[in-house]
Amino acid sequence: MDTFAFLVLATVITLSGIGVIAMRNPIHSALCLILNLACVAGIFALLGADFLAAAQIIVYAGAIMVLVLFVLMLLNLKVEKKNLLGYIYLAFGGLVSVVFILMFSYLVRVEPLNQLADNVRGSVAAMGKILYTDAIFPFEAASVLILAAITGAVMLGKRSYKKRTTHIKGQAIDI
Amino acid sequence: MVPVSWYIILSAIMFTLGALGVIVRRNAIVVFMCIELMLNGVNIAFVALSHVAGNINGQVAVFFVMVVAAAEAAIGLAVIITVFRSVQSIETQNVGELKG
Repeated sequence: MDTFAFLVLATVITLSGIGVIAMRNPIHSALCLILNLACVAGIFALLGADFLAAAQIIVYAGAIMVLVLFVLMLLNLKVEKKNLLGYIYLAFGGLVSVVFILMFSYLVRVEPLNQLADNVRGSVAAMGKILYTDAIFPFEAASVLILAAITGAVMLGKRSYKKRTTHIKGQAIDI
Repeated sequence: MVPVSWYIILSAIMFTLGALGVIVRRNAIVVFMCIELMLNGVNIAFVALSHVAGNINGQVAVFFVMVVAAAEAAIGLAVIITVFRSVQSIETQNVGELKG
């Protein structure tokens, strides 16, 4: 049963991953990526990482991808005529892919990892216990990082600082 | 029971697809999404190897990767919007003003 679920999820992940890089319309790429991330959440659940499976759906497939789709629709892009940079880049990318795959398959062959421990279960309670004891410093640092990211995004998203004046119903209003 | 090696191979496939996309695509937002693909490939390897180690420290690492990815999404998309305002395009070959 586990094997069947893994094979289905792995197939969907691979196909939708290919879809992300092969679709010409960026919106279709984003939709493929949402499917991909949802299946990764399934893989997490299969591995007993309950908290991460939920966080994956909420943070990735929910928040981040909605943000990406918003930006895509805001920019109103046209479909690319030719979606690849050129055959040189494609050849280079293919070379890099082959090297990566060979590297990883070599790694798996020299270090066979076959056992899957049953007692490793990333429940919310277990994760919370580690996050608030051993990993308390990275946890607090992460909150500072998020705050910096929010502030930075607002700063970058602002229009220019030049003071402009507009006239609405005869009144001068600074915007 | 699925062997851990299969998860590692799946993670390698995801990472490779992401790297390929970063190299061949020229739309900045698609490049950005391919980076997310690579991060998720690494996350699968983290969770699978936390089983080999026998504790959930690997899953805590994935949690922090997610935090960084969220921050990266906010900043990266703001940068893309700023670039689009000045160049009217987000294709990476049109944004070459810093190139020597």
